[in-house]
Amino acid sequence: MSIFWIFARAGFVWTAILAIPAMSGSAYAETPDISGTYWATEYRAKIQLVGGSDLPLTEAGKAAYEKNMAGLKDGSITDAARKYCVPDGLPRVLATPYPFEIIQAPPGQVTIIHELNHQVRVVAMDKPMPSEKDLTTFPFYNGHSVGHFEGDTLVIETAGFNEKTFIDAAGAPHTDEMRTVERIRRISPTQLEDVITIHDPQYYSRDWQARFVYNLRNDVRLEDYVCGEPHRDLSSVAGVRRP
Amino acid sequence: MFITTNSVRAALIVSLHAVTVATALAADSSAKQGAAVPDFTIDSKSPWLMVGDELLPAPSGPGPVTFDKRYPYVDNAAARRTGTQPTYRVADLSNPILQPWAVEQMRKANDWVLAGKVLFRARERCYPAGVPGWVIYTLAEPIFILQTEKQVTMINQGGPEVRRIYLDVPHSPNPKPSWYGESVSDYDGNDTLVAESIAISTETFIDSYGTPHTDQLHVVERYKLIDGGKMMEVLISIEDPGAFTTPWSAMQRFRRVPREWSEDICAENNLDFLQYEVVPLPQADKPDF
Repeated sequence: MSIFWIFARAGFVWTAILAIPAMSGSAYAETPDISGTYWATEYRAKIQLVGGSDLPLTEAGKAAYEKNMAGLKDGSITDAARKYCVPDGLPRVLATPYPFEIIQAPPGQVTIIHELNHQVRVVAMDKPMPSEKDLTTFPFYNGHSVGHFEGDTLVIETAGFNEKTFIDAAGAPHTDEMRTVERIRRISPTQLEDVITIHDPQYYSRDWQARFVYNLRNDVRLEDYVCGEPHRDLSSVAGVRRP
Repeated sequence: MFITTNSVRAALIVSLHAVTVATALAADSSAKQGAAVPDFTIDSKSPWLMVGDELLPAPSGPGPVTFDKRYPYVDNAAARRTGTQPTYRVADLSNPILQPWAVEQMRKANDWVLAGKVLFRARERCYPAGVPGWVIYTLAEPIFILQTEKQVTMINQGGPEVRRIYLDVPHSPNPKPSWYGESVSDYDGNDTLVAESIAISTETFIDSYGTPHTDQLHVVERYKLIDGGKMMEVLISIEDPGAFTTPWSAMQRFRRVPREWSEDICAENNLDFLQYEVVPLPQADKPDF
């Protein structure tokens, strides 16, 4: 926990310094607009780390990963996100080959709605993280998220996850102690980047990052999604293999 | 981050897309436009809870299917209040809006319930509500309404279920049928949102009595703030010459409640419904991708 907060604070100091020019003037009217409909152009079942290394699994993490992989293979573990369409959770949902919406509403909130499994992520803006007691009493698939803007970047911190989800479709594990920090920004007028940092010291010996890029697709309307039905054409997304 | 004066807050609600770093003047101009738009949102913790899970009769004219008087319907909340037993619904098949084929289909549903079985209800089996079923989906979970420049997004926390209503656009030439259909809308005055829906999947039911519809279903909902914004009323006009003898209307009311978002995932708790013979939850025999 403490390492995470040192990391988070260090990050905040740097970004605060970098953000000073953007925040001068009447800062509080300056909410950056990152709203829109976004859609990835590639899908990877196995999460790719920034820098290309393997997952820095601890011994406990390695054992959990092997158990998940074996169980998914022999059917003793169900991938509930695909079988029953419960939420993918973080960071797996970021790999979605389906479009999603970022809505900067209601006031004081950023709402992210995915077509896949009609998942809803609610990000409370400029609010403190709920207490440890609340996080452990009410663990969520998508965790509890708080956010703030640093310049043009939306920074989302999330904690209070349940242990029903995987890091990725390959079954990489996490514990309910996982905490994540996402830095979401437009990297061009038509592209959005989400760089997520995973902190889960029981299973990972160091914090690690993954990066996801999406195209702005305001021409696309999200569709209803009901588990087991035929869904939209994903042929524009490289790496999607439908069974 | 958010400006506190009421007029500018109204502008933010209708034009969040437009509020960017360099547009203070534009925000002022939006405030004038925004003043005419009802605020169904207020903030992130004032969603809407339905007062009941039945379509209510409209003030006049032909109305929705209700319960057969011989078998009064008692919802869970009413049962708790009155200390009686909740019941399942048995439809009043004498309602003149129903065409004969609909009556026959619903008679089977009634027989099923009278035989002690559980009638399909979208919320209980984690299926989408459809329209107008959206307004009676669940008593227990709030609806959050997100108003932005081009879209009104309604989220029922239970499920969760999400429905989108597109502002100031016409219907598509040939919309593909879907669970929530295609909804387009406009604001009418400073207190009403008018949503018009077509292309609603015939797998949905109008209500929880199993009232069917055809692909000709056309629904107009008028969402209106009442009681100084503490309540929301929805007047619903329904036409479907394939299923109903006449256009008819219904009503629903919601009250604002102080609730913050919570995750309530339908699909995780309802695999076994007390061993009753019920429709299975939506599930995939093989992964989507």
